[in-house]
Amino acid sequence: MTSRETGSVQISRAEATEPLLVVDNLSTHFPTERGVVRAVDGVSLSIKRGESLGIVGESGSGKTVLSRSIMGLLPAAAIRSGSVRFAGTEILDLPAKRMRHLWGAEMAMVFQNPLNSLNPLMKIGKQITEPLKLHLNMNRSHAKATAVRLLKDVHIPEAEQRLNQYPHELSGGMRQRVMIAIALACGPTVLFADEPTTALDVTVQSQILDVINEQRTDRNMSVILVTHDLGVVAGHTDHVAVMYGGKLVERAPTRTLFANMKMPYTKSLMRSIPKLDNPSHTRLATIPGRPPDLVNPPDGCRFAPRCAYAQDRCHDEEPPLAVADDPDHYYACWYPVGSPEFEARDAELRAAGDPRVDAGATI
Amino acid sequence: MRYWLTRLGTSVLLLLTVSALAFGAMNILGDPLFNILGPVALDVDNPESVELIQAAEEQYNLDDPLPIRWALWLGDFVTGDFGVQFSEDGEPPVRDLISERLPRTLQLLVMAQVLAALIAIPWALWTASRPNSKVDRASTITSFLFIAIPSFALAVMLKWALSIKLSIFPLAYVTNDTFWERSFQMLLPAITLALPAAAIYQRLLRTDLITTLQEDFILTARSKGVSRRSVLFKHALRSSLFSFVTIFAINTGALIGGALVVEQIFLIPGLGRAIVEAILREDFPVVLAIVMIIAFAFVILNLIVDLIYSLIDPRVRSS
Repeated sequence: MTSRETGSVQISRAEATEPLLVVDNLSTHFPTERGVVRAVDGVSLSIKRGESLGIVGESGSGKTVLSRSIMGLLPAAAIRSGSVRFAGTEILDLPAKRMRHLWGAEMAMVFQNPLNSLNPLMKIGKQITEPLKLHLNMNRSHAKATAVRLLKDVHIPEAEQRLNQYPHELSGGMRQRVMIAIALACGPTVLFADEPTTALDVTVQSQILDVINEQRTDRNMSVILVTHDLGVVAGHTDHVAVMYGGKLVERAPTRTLFANMKMPYTKSLMRSIPKLDNPSHTRLATIPGRPPDLVNPPDGCRFAPRCAYAQDRCHDEEPPLAVADDPDHYYACWYPVGSPEFEARDAELRAAGDPRVDAGATI
Repeated sequence: MRYWLTRLGTSVLLLLTVSALAFGAMNILGDPLFNILGPVALDVDNPESVELIQAAEEQYNLDDPLPIRWALWLGDFVTGDFGVQFSEDGEPPVRDLISERLPRTLQLLVMAQVLAALIAIPWALWTASRPNSKVDRASTITSFLFIAIPSFALAVMLKWALSIKLSIFPLAYVTNDTFWERSFQMLLPAITLALPAAAIYQRLLRTDLITTLQEDFILTARSKGVSRRSVLFKHALRSSLFSFVTIFAINTGALIGGALVVEQIFLIPGLGRAIVEAILREDFPVVLAIVMIIAFAFVILNLIVDLIYSLIDPRVRSS
């Protein structure tokens, strides 16, 4: 019942004429008493085998819902439309019964809080071997040996003893490594990591990101890293997609994005990263205002009400995704960074000493 | 180790307190002499009566102060001598009475609780996996119906419908029948006790299951490709058992002396009936013995509940 063949989702790994994962015009809506929440609204993106993509945005920008929508792990009330093709197969309308054969086997997810995400009443070993027995039909001893190897892969010392421990007996960083080991167990081709380091302290954060990156290279696996922290994606992803109000507002290869960002929103996100060479007690730059209401999103550009550079057109017409100089770089803005209108407004704001463009803005 | 010693100490203290309170209350509120001798006890002018009174005082240590009598009774009780009944010429001794009645009540209780659990657990799993569906709403109404119907009404209705009209179940409990025959005779009373209990267990377990199903680790299990059914059975059920186990244990204790209505209607001579008869006759040794059995059962059940907690949750073990 649980073998992969009966899933009837044919996955041809050998030749990929198109990228491993292609998301086209994906929307996810939640009906609520207040109205329909458009958590994800017409997002398109793709990722090749072995690549890593960072999805960045504030809380409520729809980045977590986007990753769960792609994987199909949503509450029953959610309504999805558009298309998600995985290895050439449309998976958006597959029922959970068939998606189960992809979950854990082809796509896996690492969650934000490793304490809550591990079953507190189940030994680590059992939690790792569960998908191995399920998808790969391993017997007990084979699964156990594989679990030990997985724990060693994510650099957990004394791996054999860990199998008999419970999550509460491990530290936060160790628990997240266990989560990663579980996600990697069946050798998935896509790993979703949803804020994998947010609940961990800073020194552990980079270790966890390194483990994910190392495994991506070793296994030629694609990684989708969801985070609010541009600093995290900088060193660990090939591409970055910036989300705002349920929409994709900028997408580019990581280097291009950091060198030549087009969206004023991306620029504001960048400014809100604390800098080491600032004098101490420098007030952190923030983006004034609140993320848009996803039940009644503003007309025009969703960022316009908070954007220092917004002009009349921004409030009336929604900007489409445009291609920048680099053909892989898309942005949704009428007056992007570097355009004459932007520069003129920037000079104006600087002259007026507007706090939104103060010294911190120079990148 | 230290923990278990403390637990043992508290348990003993609890039992002593219960026995002292029960013993004191019965002797202060009632008149043991009157209960033993009847109206003769009041006839102090008649020398014949006085002789009987003195003999009774001698036999039951009634001329000693209350604490001494309590200590004497306790000493006998813990060595297994529960004394004689005050009424019916003291026959059979309390110990024999209890050992005749208690097994019947225990059998009824075990049957009822097993049935209740067998009904409640699948029922809760079924409804918790589809909260607020039509099935769930219908089940909520059903469960409140079972909780709201008084046990005597349910007992009478079931007996009338299933024993008298449809003749599916036997009408009477026959003490001389074989064990299996008696078990069958007890089935309908057990169902009567099980239905409202199952409804309460289902409510609690359903609520806890719904809470557990919102937990992050459930999403992790789903993201591993675990089937809905396995998520429910292997991941959600175990974490949701705490309230159920607690109420199940409390109800077990309560049913030892509390099945009296059902025992009365289905004519099962169990402990519940014994305690009603004893209280009406103010038969102190019988009442005291049953009170002590119930208190002891609660102490043991409490220990078992703690043990089950630690079996369910490893975090309880380590703290």
